[in-house]
Amino acid sequence: MYALVDAISFYASAEKVFDPSIRNKPVVVLTNNDGCICAVCPIARKLGVPKFKPYFQIKNFLAQHHVVIRSSNYELYADLSEKMMNVVARFCDEQYVYSIDESFLHFKHYQTIIKDWHQYGHKIRRAVWKETRLPVGVGFGTTPTLAKAANHAAKKLSGYNGVAVLNDETSIHAALSRMAVTDVWGIGTRLGCKLKVLGINTAWDLAQQSPQAMRKQFSVLVERTVNELNGVTCLSWDEVKQPKKEIFSTRSFGQRITSIHALSAALTSHSVIVGRKLRQQNSLVKRLHIFASSSPHDDNYYKKSLIYEFPVATDNNCQLAKAISIVLKSIYQPNVNFYRCGVGAIELVDGNYQQPDLFMPNKNNPHLMNCFDKINHRYGQGTMQLAGEGSSQQWQMKRYFLSPSFTSKWQDIPKIVC
Amino acid sequence: MKIIPIYIAAGISGFESPAAEYKELGLSIDQLLISHPDATFIGIAQGQSMEGIGIFDKDLLIVDRSVNAEHGDVIVANYNGCFTCKFIDKKHAQLLSASDQYKPVMISADDVFQVEGVVISSIRLHRPVKDLIACMH
Repeated sequence: MYALVDAISFYASAEKVFDPSIRNKPVVVLTNNDGCICAVCPIARKLGVPKFKPYFQIKNFLAQHHVVIRSSNYELYADLSEKMMNVVARFCDEQYVYSIDESFLHFKHYQTIIKDWHQYGHKIRRAVWKETRLPVGVGFGTTPTLAKAANHAAKKLSGYNGVAVLNDETSIHAALSRMAVTDVWGIGTRLGCKLKVLGINTAWDLAQQSPQAMRKQFSVLVERTVNELNGVTCLSWDEVKQPKKEIFSTRSFGQRITSIHALSAALTSHSVIVGRKLRQQNSLVKRLHIFASSSPHDDNYYKKSLIYEFPVATDNNCQLAKAISIVLKSIYQPNVNFYRCGVGAIELVDGNYQQPDLFMPNKNNPHLMNCFDKINHRYGQGTMQLAGEGSSQQWQMKRYFLSPSFTSKWQDIPKIVC
Repeated sequence: MKIIPIYIAAGISGFESPAAEYKELGLSIDQLLISHPDATFIGIAQGQSMEGIGIFDKDLLIVDRSVNAEHGDVIVANYNGCFTCKFIDKKHAQLLSASDQYKPVMISADDVFQVEGVVISSIRLHRPVKDLIACMH
């Protein structure tokens, strides 16, 4: 048996954990630079607040309904995420943290002990709520794809109340027939359109297809999805946990920048973030995508992007920063008001199986990077920086509605009235 | 049996300090006071109502959410949208202070009330701590 546990509108719920004054109020969270709405709590959803709308377009509506607005407080979310994951991990044999608020669980030995999965799901929900004050949805399925579908049902379909179990024909049919085909894990909007042309509208329709025909018409991935929806496990646990194939760090600037030094500092900082994420999943980068642009709403829209190929794949911050300084002159142009820039690792190599090159010295420095990561993990990101990241933080995020870092800064710990 | 390896080396060298193998150890306040790290948070006390039990203004409170609140425990509650530290009187549905200056608070059906956790310890800082000065106001 598999399960997927995730938080209900995680960012908005996380804002409520240490601020009891907003627990019963509508809350929304904005993306980087307070651009768009990225999380809507259930109370705000009932008011009809849409997700992914630009903040400025909906500002008046939010004010009218007294909706509480927060900027993304990543320090808080990261800390609460870790706590939530640890609580959930107690309930299974194996856990794989899939994203900041989702984790897959695998039950092997527990399978014989647990008699009632429904009850068990509610037990998980109660424990996470009691210990972290975060609401979660729990979906059980006999395959990872069914677990993901069950999670969708638990949270989005009426009558499930936060827990769904898809382990027999009746329960699978009941849930899948009420889900759009695009709600199935791995079926994107484009593929969904093609399937709809064939009359495959619901997840149940997809489950009824012949796997071989789906393979012929689309891909082995769709075949696998059909099998998984019918309870045939195709994704091995290792495939669920596959590392990311691309890593990007990109952001729009709080204030436009025009100087080459500021652009260099911003790109270098992005490369350092990419470096950290590479090392977390033990990958090395072979090709790095580096780009910068003005706003598409500007006159004379300017956009430039380049790909830098490393002679030897690397995860060394210094090598990444060096790549930035090499391409910078080709990207920068005077008199452009840069609005956004970023760095993406687009070709990755598994750190365990790197092919060494006789004539190319390997410039990785795992000891240094390990030390770098440990210092920043312990004392906070940015404690140790490359000089190239600069000290002026002009390009950093605009976060006007930021809540305190209740759990990661002493001056921000919650106040308790006696 | 612990073996202290001494490598063969030319020249004069001393014994490796036998203390070296203990270097990683040390006393951790966290380990001593926090039994459920994932369910625990730290807050700062504001007010005088719990002085009778030794919780003073600006003390640190360690609050464990995983512990079940029993009758008479010192708890932190969400009381009408505010974190509040009191004794809980489960029999009379009241919040009690540890001071004669404060009357018991009845919890009525109209109140927002949730137990947030049990105060398992409080810490008094006898000298100002730099990192906390900002939240002392």
